[in-house]
Parts: sequence; structure tokens; C-alpha cells
Amino acid sequence: MPPIIRTHDLRKTFRSPKRRPGVSGALRTLFSRAYEEKVAVRDVTMELEPGELVGYIGPNGAGKSTTIKMLTGILVPTSGTIEVAGLVPHERRNDNARNIGVVFGQRSQLYWDLPLVESFELLRAIYSIPKDRYRENLQRFIEMLEMEPFLRTPVRQLSLGQRMRGDFAAAMLHNPRIVYLDEPTIGLDVVAKEAIREFVRHINQDRGTTIILTTHDLADVERLCRRIILIDKGTIIYDGTVDHIKEQYGTHRTLVLTLTEPHPNPVLEETEIESNDRGLVRYRFDRRRVRPDQLIREATERYELRDVSIEEPDLESIIRRIYVEGYEQEPVNS
Amino acid sequence: MRLEPYFEFAKKAFAREATYRLEVFTEIGSLIVRVYLLRSVWTALYAQNIAPMNLPLHSMITYATVALLMSLILEVDGTRLIREKLREGTIATDLMKPISVPFYFFSDGFGQTGLHALLVIPCILFALLLVHIDVPSAPVFAMFLLSFAVGYLLNFFVNFVMNAIAFWTLETFAIQLIVRWVSDLLSGQIIPLTFFPGVFGRIVFALPFAAIYSTPLLIYVGVIHPQDYGRYLLVQFLWLGLFSTLSLFMWRAAARRVVIQGG
Ligand SMILES: Nc1ncnc2c1ncn2[C@@H]1O[C@H](COP(=O)(O)OP(=O)(O)OP(=O)(O)O)[C@@H](O)[C@H]1O
Ligand SMILES: [Mg+2]
Repeated sequence: MPPIIRTHDLRKTFRSPKRRPGVSGALRTLFSRAYEEKVAVRDVTMELEPGELVGYIGPNGAGKSTTIKMLTGILVPTSGTIEVAGLVPHERRNDNARNIGVVFGQRSQLYWDLPLVESFELLRAIYSIPKDRYRENLQRFIEMLEMEPFLRTPVRQLSLGQRMRGDFAAAMLHNPRIVYLDEPTIGLDVVAKEAIREFVRHINQDRGTTIILTTHDLADVERLCRRIILIDKGTIIYDGTVDHIKEQYGTHRTLVLTLTEPHPNPVLEETEIESNDRGLVRYRFDRRRVRPDQLIREATERYELRDVSIEEPDLESIIRRIYVEGYEQEPVNS
Repeated sequence: MRLEPYFEFAKKAFAREATYRLEVFTEIGSLIVRVYLLRSVWTALYAQNIAPMNLPLHSMITYATVALLMSLILEVDGTRLIREKLREGTIATDLMKPISVPFYFFSDGFGQTGLHALLVIPCILFALLLVHIDVPSAPVFAMFLLSFAVGYLLNFFVNFVMNAIAFWTLETFAIQLIVRWVSDLLSGQIIPLTFFPGVFGRIVFALPFAAIYSTPLLIYVGVIHPQDYGRYLLVQFLWLGLFSTLSLFMWRAAARRVVIQGG
């Protein structure tokens, strides 16, 4: 199957009047034609197959939301090409709108003064969703997202978690082929997050909906995505599987020992002590140079242990390292 | 174009307005008081010979009462939404839907109008029974309704342009208030434009504000004669054409700014 989303050298440059400090600066701003240019998205090329669920990850200001806005058609690219389900979004905004569903965690698309269910009715009319399909979808969503208790509450009175559930349902009512989720779990408690993740999984797997998910909560990504695209300063720095990046960066493991008696310097060969807190010692080691079972044997010979465990690096610590140090094909191991 | 979404927008706006029930009843109450007060004021002014006498007192009271009832419908401003949405960037959410956004604003305003029109009914009864306003013949009344409908559309587009301008320029509450007050005065809503003398009067008649209130009102009280209907309606339609075109251009410019500069 051909890709459902395709961008090539996509670029967005924002132009804003150059501001100068002070009153005279403000006056000069009024009359001068000097502009400041900011490249928010720089030559982004990506392809998504139908049915993929891709995590779009990057630090604040990396250009994620800007990319998504271009994909929805509400932002015109400065250069490059986009095609979403065969359409150029900003040229065919209305047709594109029928193919997509969007959830912005920061901004609701529900109608503020109306009870939640009336926003749904409005969307039924907007997308001309057939009555029976509407009823069926709504029923399923109400169950999955447990919306029954607040269905008749005006949106402005809903809690953040309730509103987000409403927003998810609203974005999926018309069975979009593609869904963009921009920080959809921001500010949610663990239970709500779990409900949302389960819902996203359902939409992706049971309906085959293509999803781009932007989030700062890497647990979302670990739970949902096989593939991630990393973007930094507008440029894609990694596009591949979560497993691959873990493999690549996961050369180090952590051995955690709980000693029966605290020890001032409980050394082990080929390791580096990360911390030593009243008998709880964390060692960092390179699994290519020493096997964990060797380490454990050595440790049992030298010290009296109450507990042993080995920690795998999680995505969060890997991503944090990439944000700080930048991405390299073959990361150097310190 | 599919009309269903817009019909639904109107319905929801109607329902939304209806939830402010207390306001609805105070509005009716205040309107009735204002009808009564206006009658007293004009009666007193006519008794003192202060008002210019090109309208008999009875017609004047009819004029003032109908103007008040019209204002209940025309004061709805469905386009205030544009300014808020453009400023706060929430317009992006509307642009992501398969709808015509200006038409959405219009439907929303229309729904609000619907509720206000319901409020007018008890006031009309009051005006007929207690103030004894004149009722014109059927053809004149039909002409009034037509002219009022054109005025309603024109009012929408004038508001649209005003709100769009406010989005681009600095606005202050004081300026808004002055514009509002001048347009109220020059529209014939408070004083019939026939009271303005000479050249000034003629200028005022040619302004778009007159096409909103004054023309339908003067048709109602019979100051505009049937042989002049065509001329007055033509002026109304010209303004309507101008302001709807202007609105279209301003909307395009605003939307362009959003899609290029990101709001
Ligand atoms: N309308 C705009 N005008 C000017 N600059 C903008 C505009 N929108 C975004 N930017 C800039 O473009 C860059 C990318 O912003 P964007 O919102 O895409 O980041 P993001 O990856 O979504 O970040 P976050 O994780 O904080 O949401 C930022 O430097 C931002 O300041
Ligand atoms: Mg963002």
C-alpha cells in the first residue's frame, strides 16, 4: 500500500516584526520593515503507512505542533510538499478535514456553552455522519471512556480529564482515517491516562486508523508506539523503531545491590558506582564488556547481599540523553 | 452546500441563549418599560412643540416602539465571535472542520436572533394593546418585512467588518462606545432621520446606518411612499452588496494571516 502521509522537505518559516527594547524601540518597530525569521520546521521528510501509530517526539519548541498544523491544513508550508490521503491539506482544507481527527491537549474543540452530548450532535451534523453509525460510535465511546456521568454537563464545567475524554470522542465520531494527537495526555491522572491509551490503541488496532502522537510522556510512547520520529530544532534526528534506539543506546545497564551492612566503597570490577546510599548501591556497567551473572557472582563472593536487581534503561533516560548530548549513530560510551 | 450543519449551529445557539432564562425575562420587562417611557417622552416633547412636526405624534410613538422591537433583534451580534476567535487563536479549531466559518458565524447569530424574536412577541402584544401603535396595511407591512430582512443582513455584514477591523487595529472601549453611539444616532433608531435638516439630513440618509433602521421604519409609518420603495430598497441592496463583499475580503485576509503566520 502507498503511504497515507507523505511529506518531502517540509519547511515552515515564521516571520515576525523585529522588536526592539524600550519606547523608542517600539516606535521604530512601528515604522521599520525589519523582520525576524524563525525556522520552526526544517526540511522534514517522512512517510507513514496506513494503520501506523507513530510517536512524534522532541523537546519544547522542536516544531512538532507546527508540523501537525501543516498536516491538518491550517498552516501553509513555506516550502516542500505534503500529501495526506492523496490530498494537499492546505489546498483542500475541507476535504482533508473529513479524513482527519485532531486532539490538541492544550485546546478543546468542544463547544464551551453546550452540554457535552450536544457538541457530539453538532459534529454529527458537521460531518454528516449517518445516524446509525453515529449512535453506534457514540455508544461505544461512552462505554470505553466512561462518559455517561457527565454527558449532559456543559463543557465549561468539566474537569480536564473529563474534557479530554470528550475531545477524544469528538475527534473520532466521523471515523477519520488519520488522527493527530498533540499532547493528548497532558495534565491527566494515571487512571485517565490509562483510559486514553486504551482508547488510542482501540482506534488504531480495531479500526486501522493511522495515528501521529505527540507527547512528552514517554510512557505513552512505550505503551503505544513501535516507531518514533525524533525532531529537534525543526530537524528530524531519528526515524525508526523504539527497540532500535533502545538497542543502540541501551549498552549500559544498572546493577542494584542492597547490602546487609553499609560499605564505604563496595567496588566491583568493570563497573562504575553511580550511588551508594546506606547499603543501596547502584552500579553502571557495559553489557558488552561484562556479563551480569559474572557481576552477581563476584558481588556474592565479596559482600553479603539482601537483594539484587538489574535495571534496563528506559526510553525516558535515553531520550533525555539525546536531548542533552544530541543523537549520534554510534553513541560513544563513557 | 449542505445546510444541515448551519441549521444545527442555529439551533444550538438558540438553545444556548435560552439557558440564560433570567436575562430573558429581565429583557422583556425592561423593554416594556422602555416602550412606555418612550411614549411619555415623545408625548411630552410634542406637547411642548419641541419636536419638529413632520411626523404626527401617533406615528412618532409607533416609530419609536417598532424601532425598539427591531433593536431587540438587531442588537444580536453573531460576528463578535470572529474577533475573539482570531485574537485567541481558537479560529484554528473551526478551520479544521469541513465548514464555511463565516456562514457558521451567521448561523450562530441567526439562532440567537430566533430566541430574541420570540421575546418580541409579548412586547408586540403589549405595544398593540396598551400603546395602540399603528398597524399598516398588508402590502406596506410586507414591504416593511422585506426591507427589515435586508437591513438585518446588512447589519450582520457591518458588524462583521467592524469586528474584523477591531482585530487588526488597536481598539479601546471608548472608541467602540463612540462608534456605537454615532451609529445608533445616525441609523434612525432613536430619532427619525427626517428630523435632521438640510444637507446633513441628506448625507445621513445616504449612509449605511440608515439602510438598517430608518428605511424599514419609515416604510412602516408611511413616510416613504410606495412610489419610492424601489429607490430606497435599491440603496439598501447597494450597501448590502458593498458590505458583504468587504466582509468577504476581510475574512480572506484574516484567514490568510492565520494560515501563513499561524494566528
Ligand atoms: N505563530 C508563530 N509565530 C512565530 N513563531 C512560532 C509560531 N508558532 C510556533 N513558533 C515557533 O516555532 C517553533 C516551534 O514551535 P512548535 O509549537 O511547533 O513546537 P513544539 O515542538 O510543538 O513544542 P512544545 O513541545 O513546546 O509544544 C518555536 O520556536 C516557536 O516559538
Ligand atoms: Mg506543541
